[in-house]
Amino acid sequence: MESHRVIVCRCEEVSLADLIETASSYSCTARELKLRTRAGMGCCGGRTCRNMLDQVIEAVTGQKPDHAVSLGYQPPVRPMSFQLLGGRK
Amino acid sequence: MLDSLIIGAGPAGLAAAVASARQGLRVRVVDEFYQPGGRLLGQLHQEPDGTWWNGLAEAARLQQEAVEAGAEIRCGVSVFHVTRQDTSWIVSTSEGVMEASMLLIATGASETPVPIPGWTLPGVMSIGAAQVMTNVQRVRVGTRGVIIGINILSVAIARELLLAEVKVDRMILPAHSVISGDASHPVAVMQSMLRIAHLAPSPLIRMGSKWMKSTWMQRLGTALYPSRGFSMWGIPIQLRTAALAIIGVNQVEGVRIAHITPDGQPVSGTEQIIPADFVCIAGELSPLAELAAVAGCPFAYVPSLGGHIPIHNERMQTPLDGLYVAGNITGIESAKVALAQGTAAGMSMAFSHGSLRDPHVLSDSIKQIEIVRNNATLQFHPGIRAGRMQVGLMAAERSL
Ligand SMILES: Cc1cc2nc3c(=O)[nH]c(=O)nc-3n(C[C@H](O)[C@H](O)[C@H](O)COP(=O)(O)OP(=O)(O)OC[C@H]3O[C@@H](n4cnc5c(N)ncnc54)[C@H](O)[C@@H]3O)c2cc1C
Repeated sequence: MESHRVIVCRCEEVSLADLIETASSYSCTARELKLRTRAGMGCCGGRTCRNMLDQVIEAVTGQKPDHAVSLGYQPPVRPMSFQLLGGRK
Repeated sequence: MLDSLIIGAGPAGLAAAVASARQGLRVRVVDEFYQPGGRLLGQLHQEPDGTWWNGLAEAARLQQEAVEAGAEIRCGVSVFHVTRQDTSWIVSTSEGVMEASMLLIATGASETPVPIPGWTLPGVMSIGAAQVMTNVQRVRVGTRGVIIGINILSVAIARELLLAEVKVDRMILPAHSVISGDASHPVAVMQSMLRIAHLAPSPLIRMGSKWMKSTWMQRLGTALYPSRGFSMWGIPIQLRTAALAIIGVNQVEGVRIAHITPDGQPVSGTEQIIPADFVCIAGELSPLAELAAVAGCPFAYVPSLGGHIPIHNERMQTPLDGLYVAGNITGIESAKVALAQGTAAGMSMAFSHGSLRDPHVLSDSIKQIEIVRNNATLQFHPGIRAGRMQVGLMAAERSL
C-alpha cells in the first residue's frame, strides 16, 4: 500500500512500513519497536514520532498505552552542545 | 534563590507569574521562544457573540501585568533537564543552571500530525506552524494551499490564513492508514464538527447541527454531504475527499486526492491531482510533558485530555515536592482555561510558601477554572470532565 512509504522517524529515517512490519512480526511493545528500528532514538529525542510509535503498536497488536509512559524521556530533552553540557558556557 | 521558577510563558505560565508575584513571591519565567505569550501569539478568532479573541493583545496584557507585579521574564531560554536536590529544584537551561524552591511546568502541548506520503517535502507544515508563520512572523506560507485534517483547530486557523489573504484551496481528510484513526473517517469527523457548529458563520450550518442529534442522522448527513463540500468563509470543507499523497520533486507541487465513502474508503476512478504550493497537516494535540517525565513525576494516560498527563490535584500540585503543573500539559483545553489554571497554580504556590494572606483566593481561583470551562466556546474534547475526574482520583489515591 502506498501509505507505507511514509517516513515516520525523520532523524533515523524509519518508515511506517518498517514499523508495521516489525510490530507484526515481533508483536512487541513500543519500547521494543523503538529498540529494534531505532525510531525515536535520533537527535530530536522522538519529539515528532513518539506518539506514532504508540499508535502503530496499538493498531497492530491491540496493546493500549498504560499510565506509565511507554517510551522513556532522557535528558537533555533539547539538543545541547557538549560545551554547554560540560559546563563551559 | 527564587521562590518559584516557571517554565513556559504561555497563558498558564504568565497568569501563574502574575498571581504568585502579586503575593510577594520571587518569580522568574523562562521560555525558549523569543517572545512571551506561547500559543496565544497566533490566536485570532471570533466568539459567537461577535467579539474577537485577540491572543496577541492578551499576551501583551499578561506580560505587562507579570512585570508590574515584579516577575522576571526571560525568553530564548530552553530547559533541558530538571532535578530535585534537597529542598530545591535544579533547572538546567541553555543559559545555565537555575535554582528555585518551587517549579511550575507550563510547557503546553505539541502537535501530532498524521503522516501522509510526501509529508517530508519542503512546503508541508503542521497547521500550528502555518499559524505562527502567518500571525507571529508575518511570513506568507504560500500562495495556494490545501489543509489536510478537519478539526476545530484547523478550521480556526484556516480562517486566520484567510484574514491574512493566504488562499486555502480546500480542506480535506487524510487518507485512511494504519495510524490515521478517526481523522480519516468522515462520520467521526462530522460528529466532532457538529460540536463546534455553534461557531459556524452560516445560520444554515448552525440550524442543521441542531437537527443532527442522533447517530443515524449524522450518518445520513455524511452520506448526503456534497462532494464539493460546504464552504465556511468561502473555504470548501470537503468531508468526502481524502489526500492520498502530497506530490512534488523538490517541494510541494500538488496533492493527489480521491472521493471517499462515508467510511473513508477511496472511490475508484475519482483520483485527481490538485495544484498547491503549501500543505498544512492538522492532527491532534498532546500535552508536552517531557520535563515532568525527567523530573520523575507519575502519569495518568487519559485519551480525552490528549494522552499522558502528570498526576496533579486541583491545586495543580504533583506528587513531587514543590512541583506544579498548569495549562495544556494537564490536558488540551482552550487558552482561557489555561489562564485560569495558571492563576490557581500561582495562588497555590503562594499558599505553600505561606504568603497567601487570604486562603479563600485559592479556593476561588480553583472554582473559577470550572466557571471558565463551562463558558468556553472552544471545547477540544467532550470527555474533558470525565478525564479530569480520573486524574483527580489518581491524585487522591496518592493522598495528594
Ligand atoms: C497549534 C496550536 C494552536 C492553538 N490554537 C488555539 C486557539 O486558537 N484558541 C485556543 O483557545 N486554544 C488554542 N490552542 C490550545 C492552546 O494550547 C491553549 O490555547 C494555550 O495556549 C495553552 O497554554 P499553555 O500556557 O498551557 O501553553 P502554551 O501557550 O503552549 O505555552 C507553552 C510555552 O512553553 C514553552 N516551552 C515548552 N517547552 C519548553 C522548554 N523545554 N524550555 C523552555 N520553554 C519551553 C513554549 O515555548 C511555549 O511558549 C492551540 C494549541 C496549539 C498547539
